[in-house]
Amino acid sequence: MDDLRPDAIPESSGSTSQQIVGESIERGFLGSSSEIALAAVETGPEGEASRKKLSIGAWLAIGWMGFIILIAVLAKTGIFTWGDPNESFVSCARRGPFSKEGTAANFILGCDSNGRDMLARLALGTWTSLYVAVGAILVGFSIGGLLGIISGYFGGKTDTFLTGLFNILLSVPGVVLALALVAFLQGSAETASKSSISPEVILIIAIGIVGIPLVGRIARASALSWTQREFVLAARSQGAKHRRVIIKEILPNVLPAILSISLLGIAIAIVAEGTLAILGVGVRPPTPSWGNIIAADRGNLFTSPHIVFEASLMIFLTVLSLNMLGDVVRARFDVREGLL
Amino acid sequence: MELTKLIARRAVQLVIVLLFVSFFTFLLVRLLPGDPTDIIIPFGTEAKKAQLRADLGLGQPLYQQYIDYLGNILQGNLGRQYSSGRPVSELVAQSLPVSIQLMIYAQLIALLFALPLGIWAAYRAGSRSDAAINTTGFALLALPNFVVALVLSYFIGARLKWLPTGGYAPGWLDPIFDGTRSTDIGGHFNYMLLPAITLALGQIAIYMRLLRSDMIATLKENFISMARAKGISNLRILWRHALRPSSLTLLTVVGLNVGALIGGAIVVEVIFGIPGMGQKITLAIFSREYIELQGYVLVVAVLFILVNFFVDFLYTILDPRIRRGRSAT
Amino acid sequence: MSRVNRIAAIAVVVGAMTLATTGISSASAPSRAPQQAKGGEITFGLEAESTNYCLTGAQLAASGIQVVKAVYDTLTVPNSKGEAVPYLAKSVKPNADFTVWTIGLREGVTFHDGTPVDAAAIKANLDSYYGAPDAPNVGSLIPIVLGFVQSVAVTDPLTVTVTLKTPVSTFPAYLYLTGRMGIMAPAQLNSGDACKTNLIGSGPFKVSSIRQNEATVVTANPNYWQKGYPKAAQITFIPVTEGAARTNQLQGGQLDMMHTSSATQIAALKNIGNINALTQKPGYREINYSVLVQSKGATAKVFGNETVGADARKAYNTALDRKKINQIQNRGTFTLANGLMDTKAPGYLKNAGYPKYNPKKAKALVAKVKAGNDGAFDIVLGTTTDAENSKLAQQVQEQLDKVGITATIAQFDQATLINKAISGDIDVLFWRNLHGGYSFSSDPDNYPWWSNYNTASGGKNAINFAHFNDPDTQAALDKGRTETTPAQAKATYTAYNKAFAKGNFITPMWYVNWTIGSQKSVKVALPALPDGAGKPLFVYGVLPVIGLSKK
Repeated sequence: MDDLRPDAIPESSGSTSQQIVGESIERGFLGSSSEIALAAVETGPEGEASRKKLSIGAWLAIGWMGFIILIAVLAKTGIFTWGDPNESFVSCARRGPFSKEGTAANFILGCDSNGRDMLARLALGTWTSLYVAVGAILVGFSIGGLLGIISGYFGGKTDTFLTGLFNILLSVPGVVLALALVAFLQGSAETASKSSISPEVILIIAIGIVGIPLVGRIARASALSWTQREFVLAARSQGAKHRRVIIKEILPNVLPAILSISLLGIAIAIVAEGTLAILGVGVRPPTPSWGNIIAADRGNLFTSPHIVFEASLMIFLTVLSLNMLGDVVRARFDVREGLL
Repeated sequence: MELTKLIARRAVQLVIVLLFVSFFTFLLVRLLPGDPTDIIIPFGTEAKKAQLRADLGLGQPLYQQYIDYLGNILQGNLGRQYSSGRPVSELVAQSLPVSIQLMIYAQLIALLFALPLGIWAAYRAGSRSDAAINTTGFALLALPNFVVALVLSYFIGARLKWLPTGGYAPGWLDPIFDGTRSTDIGGHFNYMLLPAITLALGQIAIYMRLLRSDMIATLKENFISMARAKGISNLRILWRHALRPSSLTLLTVVGLNVGALIGGAIVVEVIFGIPGMGQKITLAIFSREYIELQGYVLVVAVLFILVNFFVDFLYTILDPRIRRGRSAT
Repeated sequence: MSRVNRIAAIAVVVGAMTLATTGISSASAPSRAPQQAKGGEITFGLEAESTNYCLTGAQLAASGIQVVKAVYDTLTVPNSKGEAVPYLAKSVKPNADFTVWTIGLREGVTFHDGTPVDAAAIKANLDSYYGAPDAPNVGSLIPIVLGFVQSVAVTDPLTVTVTLKTPVSTFPAYLYLTGRMGIMAPAQLNSGDACKTNLIGSGPFKVSSIRQNEATVVTANPNYWQKGYPKAAQITFIPVTEGAARTNQLQGGQLDMMHTSSATQIAALKNIGNINALTQKPGYREINYSVLVQSKGATAKVFGNETVGADARKAYNTALDRKKINQIQNRGTFTLANGLMDTKAPGYLKNAGYPKYNPKKAKALVAKVKAGNDGAFDIVLGTTTDAENSKLAQQVQEQLDKVGITATIAQFDQATLINKAISGDIDVLFWRNLHGGYSFSSDPDNYPWWSNYNTASGGKNAINFAHFNDPDTQAALDKGRTETTPAQAKATYTAYNKAFAKGNFITPMWYVNWTIGSQKSVKVALPALPDGAGKPLFVYGVLPVIGLSKK
């Protein structure tokens, strides 16, 4: 059964999902749940969206993302913070908008259990969550993308080695890997210098490393198929160096695939930050993030549920928007064109 | 004997991957900061800590520790928990069945909903109900695990009080793994239902979409039009003729998810207080029980790899395109 | 049937069965043990799991000690008057100058494995506790606490003699040590590493099974030395770390009893209609406080600075609005602490001299500190990742910020936090401990913890987290352990309390009201102690369990 090379696969027949999953398996896919989810996102009717018009949903998604990026930047720079995220008020502690005692005046979204303004904390938390998520995906994007392209382009031993590396990283549950990486980075930072690296950076590196295999595999699959194309062979036969071929021919064509995955990846990273916060690992208090707002007041869920619900709603709407946008990008550039 | 060659090749690949993973988990855990002697005897004198370090074999060179470690694993010895001296294999035997049962229930619930929804959406592809189902699925995919867990815990657990918000009673698999008596099977399902639903919700969306996509393609095939021409009812066509060839991808993904869910249900276990592998892993990391952590990560990784290789392998044999390719040569 | 059909069919059937079972189970309150033996099978929710039960070396907190209370007996226990009275022992008598103590044992008491609780067994236990040469399973903390013990000897099969290096009049309290000094059977003590998981005591219950982080089941000891006890047939201890989850499980009927030390949960308990809540009375409660670390040398902290240290600590204490913190953290339900002691401990003062909240004065002090410290007043607050602790740290940080003290919060797991405190790597340690003392002394809880960091013999007292050296407190501690009358003790410990306040070694926060929540079907009886010694004391959240029963 040596016919497992991509060029041995007959013309695509069967459904899109069969294609995606099947091809991934043939190329050594050790499905992680994120990849499975990504595959699923791409197979819905939205995945079959037309390349021409943006749907209402897509516009809403763009609107929401723009909105939260705006409030995040405003909150972080201090231009407009919706209140003080660190000032605690006894009168408002644990009171939410729908609680029995009613909301305290001036606090539309209520306060957390330390009596701090939820609106202000969510605004500042938006910055932290987005910063960590985007940073992590940039790490995954750049390192994973690069490794994936190299792997797909050169093939052979390099490919086997890098794919093996990806597979090993994927065999450990993502959360566990992230936890271990954070612990390691924190410890090294402490022993290295007195002033440790900021916890946000540690999270970015940890989640980023976990994301490398995800981006890497997509980049690899894409690079692999593009490398087989005639114009690449032509460029090589004209004596173009590897570096030139990669940068001029492969990269521009692989970019849309990586971009689409990255948008979905940001969503995954946001959720990862939340998961890690619940498990006790995250940014240093009193810095808020969506994840640690939920984590800190998870114990008050039964008595003051508004805290968890408000932050959860932010996460949900953002992830939904990112999923939608990732889908739109993919449909626009039809990333699977190269797999025909 | 192509098949034998394939099996042999895959087996070799498997062993190599397992070796690498064992080295990786070994290394990962060794890199974690903090001296374990500090947790076991925080008030101990330096002399005592040095003695403990020697007893635990922490002073030896890395490669020596790895070789000892490998030798131990092959004999089924995963080491001991520092603070209690309990063999890690005993702790694994207690927590693994819990996670496996949770995974099984989650998969069953997911399939229970995904099968009919996926079939219906494919049958009515392009209609309003299809769009509705798909939008719901899309939304479900955007819900993080922990959000679902907390929301369900609050509404169904605390407000409506239909189900407990946490806790565990041994079920049907626990006695097989560690001989514990299950005195309260009814309670077991009670405790596991919310966590299983939480895990299932995300999977429902995925499975439903995969099935829908495959079914739409199948429904376009010739033999379906033939069946319709023969006058067979739509329901029968969907259930008896279309479902089977469309379910390959779905079942493959279900299989792949088996491995992923055993180690991936950590947050759900922590939120609902289910004493599975996920909860144990979290506790081990925070109490710096590195040998114990190593054992858990290894077990989860090995299970994941084994299941995936198996599913992988089955798929390769069963994929109609490859089969067609084979028969063509 | 095709394969897929079969799978689908099974899925539907299992699903239906599950739903049906759920329907049946949720019709009645879901409980963990449907059948009940006489006296009842009680489920008890604990705050945490303990993994190591080799008592001589285990570092148990209240949850672990609660289990110990069921499985083991201690030689003495505190009664409601705060006296440490003989319990497993029949008598504990001193010689004239309190340097030799004679412990008399009861006849016919046996461990769970049938071996006798005799002088040899007691000697073996005490040897391992205080760290006699060649004793098995010696720990590292208790030998420090019992550092004054010289030797233990068997006088006759039911009498043990303990010789001390220095006079200690409160020795009986040391035989309890907040419940840690359980007497183990020699079979457990001598089983090497297995001592940690092989629990054999003489207590009212014996261990039936332990599934870590899941359930510890103990069943009634039919040969218990107090006739007619225990009342319950079985107790299942279940660790539920999340306070809200524990309360919720009590409310839902999954737990029969639970304990909590969180004000939020205590308030929640009081709101639940049909359960009983038993709260500790004031007198001997645990205290929540912060330790201000004065380390010098390589890990020098501003609080230990020769010139500005005293002012820095005073500034810290003056800057905190404890009332507000208490209101937010505990809904005002806990009482602010006035020092290291609770109301019934000797030396308790309503006003020991700790500074009152005054942000203006604090700012002035901060300016003074900065002037003498290159313009810096930066400190690190050490806390665990526990949500409650983290919130407390954040409130403190907010208030310090208002007076110009820059505080960073550093979160560690419990073990690392202790290490950071011991090595002096943090400035403030948020801590909680029982320093109330019993009988007419503040021993034993204070002496090992607050003896000077630099010991007289040149070593280091690592468990003085505050790293201070203060002649006044040391003198008071040394004097206090030899005193024999309440009046003397009161004078000495009052001086001790004042010295602590003057030096601002700690920041007292509030007293912790441990509370036991229980279903109405559970009878929480505290039977009188044997030999007319009075009623037992419910202290440190540890409830005597021999009188528990369930209808």
